[in-house]
Amino acid sequence: MRRLSVVLAVLALLLIGGGVLAQDAPTVAVITPYLAQPGTQFVVEGFQTAAEGTGWTVNVIDTAGDVAAVISRIEDVVNQGVDAIVINVDPAQVAAGLEVASAAGIPVFGMDAGSDPLLVTNVTSNGYAMAAETATYVADRIGGAGRVVMFVFDPFPPVQKRGIIADTIFANNPDIEVIDRITPDVADGGIADSRAKMEAVLAANPEPGSISAVWAAWDQPALGALQAIEAAGRQNEGIVIVGIDANPQALDAIAAGGNFEASVAQDFAGIGAATADAVARVLAGETINQRVIYVPTVLVTGANVAEFLGD
Amino acid sequence: MDAGRNLLPTRLKGNRWLRRSGTLIGFLIVVIIFTLNNPSTFLTLPNWLNISQQVSMLAVVAFAMTIVMVMGDFDLSVGSMASLAGILAALLFRAEQPLAVGILVALGAGLIGGLINGLLVSYVGITPFVATLGTLTIFSGAAFLFSGGETIFGRDIPAEFSGFARTGLPIGTVNERPLLFPAMTILALVVLGIIWLLLEQTTYGRRLYAIGGNAEAARLAGVRVRLLRLIAFMLTGLGAATAGLMYASRVASANPTQGAGLMLDAIAAVFLGMTLSEEGEPHVLGTLLGVLILGVLDNGLTQMQVDSYVREILIGGIIIGAVTSSSLSRRNR
Repeated sequence: MRRLSVVLAVLALLLIGGGVLAQDAPTVAVITPYLAQPGTQFVVEGFQTAAEGTGWTVNVIDTAGDVAAVISRIEDVVNQGVDAIVINVDPAQVAAGLEVASAAGIPVFGMDAGSDPLLVTNVTSNGYAMAAETATYVADRIGGAGRVVMFVFDPFPPVQKRGIIADTIFANNPDIEVIDRITPDVADGGIADSRAKMEAVLAANPEPGSISAVWAAWDQPALGALQAIEAAGRQNEGIVIVGIDANPQALDAIAAGGNFEASVAQDFAGIGAATADAVARVLAGETINQRVIYVPTVLVTGANVAEFLGD
Repeated sequence: MDAGRNLLPTRLKGNRWLRRSGTLIGFLIVVIIFTLNNPSTFLTLPNWLNISQQVSMLAVVAFAMTIVMVMGDFDLSVGSMASLAGILAALLFRAEQPLAVGILVALGAGLIGGLINGLLVSYVGITPFVATLGTLTIFSGAAFLFSGGETIFGRDIPAEFSGFARTGLPIGTVNERPLLFPAMTILALVVLGIIWLLLEQTTYGRRLYAIGGNAEAARLAGVRVRLLRLIAFMLTGLGAATAGLMYASRVASANPTQGAGLMLDAIAAVFLGMTLSEEGEPHVLGTLLGVLILGVLDNGLTQMQVDSYVREILIGGIIIGAVTSSSLSRRNR
């Protein structure tokens, strides 16, 4: 009997909680396995803020890293008859759920997710543009001439995109020579192996000034290269280091004013807001032709790093 | 035990049914409340087929976990075995091996992993908690090592493999869309049938319950405790690998951590099921109810738009509530 009363008490609470939900306003489910990650939190908060004035009921569902549970929750909200679904997960992995939503005629939006024919659109940052920002920064900074080390990761398509753009920009400067194009081992997060690889490059190029810059496709290799350069005592040779993503460690390094000079910050809140805007347009009956909607990114340097550290 | 039970006053005998069925009644109340809150969507055949498919992977792990828990043992390594099995199959698919090779190697890994667990517990004599905690870490490390830490997805996963999680037997149409009885559900039911037969209808199963009751007495009665326990761990490993393949099929990818959540939910499901048994023994049909409770709560609370973190707290609270009151009522007996 005691067990019964426990269950009853819990359920009574649920009933009260469930009863107050508005039924007529559009309901939008936001489903992600990654809510514990800071980037995802900013994106979801940006979405919620933008949705505040719309009168939608926004149901944020975090499956705590479980991708199969994302499929299950998509099925659940399709069954419930929500008006739109927003996902923040690789759509290829939840295709089973996307097919269910598509069969039920419920639009699904990607919020920094990845492109997929089953998504109305995906709102994200432009990887090509981010790489162009940092590669041009390097080319300009070294006056269009010098020897550059690149850290890339071609097996992962979003990062491969960045490398290909940097390749093009450096190739377009006849006096820039790419002396090494390194793919670090990322099993440990990428910093340690990048440091080891950079130490080897430094050893192979002992002359001061023989390395002008390090271009990294994301922040971890840039941080590893910075550690290697400082450990070798070569931080005063004017080697310019750039990364992408503007993670907290990179921001600290940029703020410290050393060799790590620039990175690119994604506008996570902006991605959330632009996704809410896309949902609103589709709920209003508009058709969105853009398969991907890009939200501008910001180049972070010593000049503006303070704004980002405040976050 | 039996003699003592006959001496119970009639009043208590009447309560016994209620005590055993408390979890079941609680489950029915949950169903009723969800139905009242979502009248047009919750208590529908498509939604329940949907739930059955969602819980199928957890169900297979939990059914397999029941085998070792019958003996009072645990297998903490089932989640990382599931991840490892998915990774092995995906890597073989990537190497353009036939579907059958990937699946058989993954299932073989489950048997070998179970064999290692069984040897450690049965022959080396390490407690299951420590032995399987160790192998949990080893299997997880192996999954990371083999995959290089990455998620294997896209063209590497053959369409026939990921298609399994989306197919089923057509059983009618709803809103002009075909209604499928999911293949994943059928597979879980087959595993349920096999394990039910094994545990409830064979000498092997009865001996496992005897080991759970008193391993020393079972040994003295001539039961080959070590061998039977070893086999039980192998079967649990096989079940974990099966669930890992189902998971990989459902998400059309393999990731070295994707099975991690299955272990604790599986143990929770077995414990919920144990509250149905007079002796507090695990039975695979009880485990089925435990799995359904977890799946129905997830489904219904999502439809009621209960915050996902509140949902976690509620599910944890319900598990503790059910098991606590069941053990209290048993102690008061």
